[in-house]
Amino acid sequence: MASFAGAMLMRIAPGFSSDDQELNSGLSAQSIQAIRRAHLADSDIPHFYAQYIASLVRGDLGTSRSLNQPVKELLRDRLPTTLTNLAFALAVGWLLGLALAIAAQMWDSPALSVLANGLSGTFISTPAAALALVFLLLRWPPAFAAALLVFPKIYRYAQNLLQQSSEMPHVLTARAKGAGPWRVLAWHVAPIALPQIIALVGVSISIGIGVLLPIEVVSDVAGIGQLAWQAAQARDLPLLVNLTMVVTFVTVCATLISDAAQRGFRRSAA
Amino acid sequence: MKAIRLIAITVLALTALTILGTHYLAPAGYEQQFRETPQAAPSGHHLLGTDELGRDCWARLLYGMRVSLTLAPLAALFTTLLAGLVGGIAGYFGGWTERCCKLLIDLFLSVPWLFLLITVRAVLPLNVSPEASVTLTFALLGVLGWAASARVICAGAKDLMKSEFVWMARASGFSGLKLVRLHLMPNLRGALLAQFWISIPVFIIAEANLGALGLGVAEPLPSLGSLLRELQDSVMVRPEPWRLLPLAVLIVVISSFQVLLNKQEIRT
Repeated sequence: MASFAGAMLMRIAPGFSSDDQELNSGLSAQSIQAIRRAHLADSDIPHFYAQYIASLVRGDLGTSRSLNQPVKELLRDRLPTTLTNLAFALAVGWLLGLALAIAAQMWDSPALSVLANGLSGTFISTPAAALALVFLLLRWPPAFAAALLVFPKIYRYAQNLLQQSSEMPHVLTARAKGAGPWRVLAWHVAPIALPQIIALVGVSISIGIGVLLPIEVVSDVAGIGQLAWQAAQARDLPLLVNLTMVVTFVTVCATLISDAAQRGFRRSAA
Repeated sequence: MKAIRLIAITVLALTALTILGTHYLAPAGYEQQFRETPQAAPSGHHLLGTDELGRDCWARLLYGMRVSLTLAPLAALFTTLLAGLVGGIAGYFGGWTERCCKLLIDLFLSVPWLFLLITVRAVLPLNVSPEASVTLTFALLGVLGWAASARVICAGAKDLMKSEFVWMARASGFSGLKLVRLHLMPNLRGALLAQFWISIPVFIIAEANLGALGLGVAEPLPSLGSLLRELQDSVMVRPEPWRLLPLAVLIVVISSFQVLLNKQEIRT
């Protein structure tokens, strides 16, 4: 449905039926006619979509109009780059966010709290494209910029959850009975907070994909984000429909998996 | 924490005063060129120097702040109204209406917000007048940003419809608009207000992202996003750190919003 909505939007966008190649004086009248016919075939969206689904079943994702390459090849070339950057951003973002949230919870230090809140506040307030520019300037890896943009959400959510869980009556009782801070965290706080933290995995993947688009464009990284931006600007319907579907598929799958993990964890805890 | 909140309130109050007094504080118009001094360093005449076209950077920053920080709340207001309408209808009617509304909400939420925003903006025309581009950019934020808020409002309205006082009101003969006006709207006001405040920094950042990618407000009208685009000339940034001021202003203003939002979220 998301890719169909994307296709509809492309169809109603101004300039959909025109192509830069029509201005090429080197092309013959027949070539220009062929380009126009190809555009005309795409302009009937229900027909285009029915054909697209039929091809998809056969494993054919169509051909990019602007890059003149099979979409399957483009995805095969670009998807690993984005997935690698996404995995790095999520791993570092989660590690940093959880480590700081746990540290803030374990050591009630104002300096640590100011540092953690200051860092998360700064990166939650920084546009992805601007941070990518700064990283480009400093020649730092762009995936690290994505990690820093994912981290504040993890930190804030985890910190709030740990705080709420540590104020529950059974945790206070455990503390009063002399349980050490690590034992309280591992046996009393984590089992309550963990299912809700797991639910954040799906959201963090969505955030990661979202921030990677401007980062890839600014840093000139040949990934899915940059491809989507190029496809949208070139009104490349087959490419954009496939990209929307891939992104939606990854996001929905991540959300479903994290929801299932959350339910499974709750069942086993009960 | 109290001191930090006080600083945040002061920053936002100063920002609001700056926006109101842009006309008096700016030494020149945002498009006025000083052709004899392009790319000038900060001086008494040009507080932040000039850009490559000889335009006063301080004036452009002030006008950019005015554009971004005035229109983001307007877009947030629009998106909150839209969320209130869709979420309210879903929660009030329930059943098939709720399922259809939730399907629409899920459809919007299934695509990452920034991905959706940038691809949709890239599809729309870019070579339009500055006024049209600014309207288009912020209207798009308003139209695409409602889904998450609508889910919250829907849940709130649904809970209210199950509450005892609404049942009592229904038993007393209240229905339709009267029920919405007297019982639902006053009780949803807090949630709607929270969604409005949450949307403002999100929209300012989104506009900045669009602007930095060249998909935002068109030249010569400045916005915080289009000013960030000028940072792309990294060679220029390295020896001239004052060019990073728009980014610093953006981070300080959004951070101030975030500090106050934490308090607001707790209250609602």
